Amino acid sequence: MKKRFALRFAPGLVEQPLVSKLVRAYDVDVNILNADVSSGRGGKLIVDLVGRTEAIKQSVSWLGGIGVVVSEIVKELVFNQDSCVSCGGCTAVCSSGALQMDREWKLVYDASKCVVCGLCVNACPLRLFELSMERGA
Amino acid sequence: MAKTIAQINEKIKAGSVVVVTAEEFTAMARTKEPGQLAQEVDVVTTATFGPMCSSGAVINFGHWNPGIRMEDITLNDVPVYQGLAAVDGYIGATAESKYDCQYGGAHVIEDLIAGKELRLHARGKGTDCYPTKEIDTYINKDVVNEFYLFDPRNAYQNYGAATNSTSKIKYTYMGCLLPSFGNVTYSTSGELSPLLNDPYLRTIGLGTRIFLGGTQGYVVWNGTQFNTAKERNSHGIPLGGGATLAVIGDAKEMSTEFIRAAYYEKYGVSMFVGLGIPIPVLDDDMAGRLAISNSEIETYVFDYGVDGHPAVGKVNYAELQSGKIELNGKKVKTAPLSSLSVARDIADTLCGWIKDGRFLLSEPVARFPMDSSVEPLRQRRAGQDASEGAER
Repeated sequence: MKKRFALRFAPGLVEQPLVSKLVRAYDVDVNILNADVSSGRGGKLIVDLVGRTEAIKQSVSWLGGIGVVVSEIVKELVFNQDSCVSCGGCTAVCSSGALQMDREWKLVYDASKCVVCGLCVNACPLRLFELSMERGA
Repeated sequence: MAKTIAQINEKIKAGSVVVVTAEEFTAMARTKEPGQLAQEVDVVTTATFGPMCSSGAVINFGHWNPGIRMEDITLNDVPVYQGLAAVDGYIGATAESKYDCQYGGAHVIEDLIAGKELRLHARGKGTDCYPTKEIDTYINKDVVNEFYLFDPRNAYQNYGAATNSTSKIKYTYMGCLLPSFGNVTYSTSGELSPLLNDPYLRTIGLGTRIFLGGTQGYVVWNGTQFNTAKERNSHGIPLGGGATLAVIGDAKEMSTEFIRAAYYEKYGVSMFVGLGIPIPVLDDDMAGRLAISNSEIETYVFDYGVDGHPAVGKVNYAELQSGKIELNGKKVKTAPLSSLSVARDIADTLCGWIKDGRFLLSEPVARFPMDSSVEPLRQRRAGQDASEGAER
């Protein structure tokens, strides 16, 4: 499997050979998509980790253990449902059926149906939707 | 036998009043005649919770020492109308912050109701009696003298539904309209909506006590763009627009559950206003009006993709609320813009207030005109006759 991560690390970790460690110890392929690393300032890597599910999980766990802040890059919809007034404006643009009015005219959100098209972000007059790019790993 | 509002109020005080919501009344009317319902039910509560742009609030900030004649006022960078004496201001719901178009007057009002601190900045030219030229401070609803909602146009009787024939998405005050008639939006609470249950405003007039934003408020005038000349269907329902109400209420007592700021993409700021009106079941005629059901309430569907928004269909609210209507021979998805679930909460809350004897009905001080129409703004020369040069 393949997963995309953002790895952020403090200046003290710049001297560590993170990538080669991942390749040798956990048998994952690392594709570096973006790197912003400098001595004394810390850095950020955007990487694809390719390998067995368990290997990726162990890699993330090892990185976390040595102090790298790891977040998975996934496009997903974040909905602040507590503030929703169930006006229904978002249902006008939701073709996947993730956002629907129930029989009591309350808005229901079924994340499993969401295709992350993002149209609801601008359709909500209370601005309760956000497209998130990262989540803690 | 006909009842009077005074008799109904006696029943409220005695705790024997029978009050139901307009949806419950309509359901009862499926099996009972208006005459029987007029005997059994005393009051019907109606409600709506939708975006109402023509809303705002009056604030008296209190006098600074030494005094300032505020001539340029902002609250959280949103301009406040300043042309009202030294320290009175009016914050319109659709006013926008100088720096963030998604934050406006409605947000200021909601934040004040929520008890938040807002930054007040004001300038004056400095006069002998008001020498201070600039102030920069914070206010909340407890430190200002008055803070009351005054909405020039709320509770539209009916409103046209919206669609879009063009090949591009349209962002409007009627929400996001998908291309090629991709959806239809509508914005009333149908058979629960106040002015659809009293279509000729027999019981709603100047001074009518109402639910406004979570507290008691009052109808203080007909709303702007008040139109009684609108085409009506056989049930007396205007097909779009129609009557409106100007309302007032103490915003310090309101709740953000029933007043919420909104931002419509590429349109601007608006405000959801929670409004409920109790309607007395005075006689068979009122019972018949209150029995109105969604299938009897019709409106036109307008094309917001074309200048002038021509009508492209006519539908009823039973169809709109079913989630799909037929337009040009095709099924089109429908979506509401006003919250029926919050409107139901309001109607239920009002039922509770009346049952508990906390809310008495009021006789209108005066009824609103029934010969009012709405005219467009035209280019004209000073002194030119209004009908001259009229295009339509």
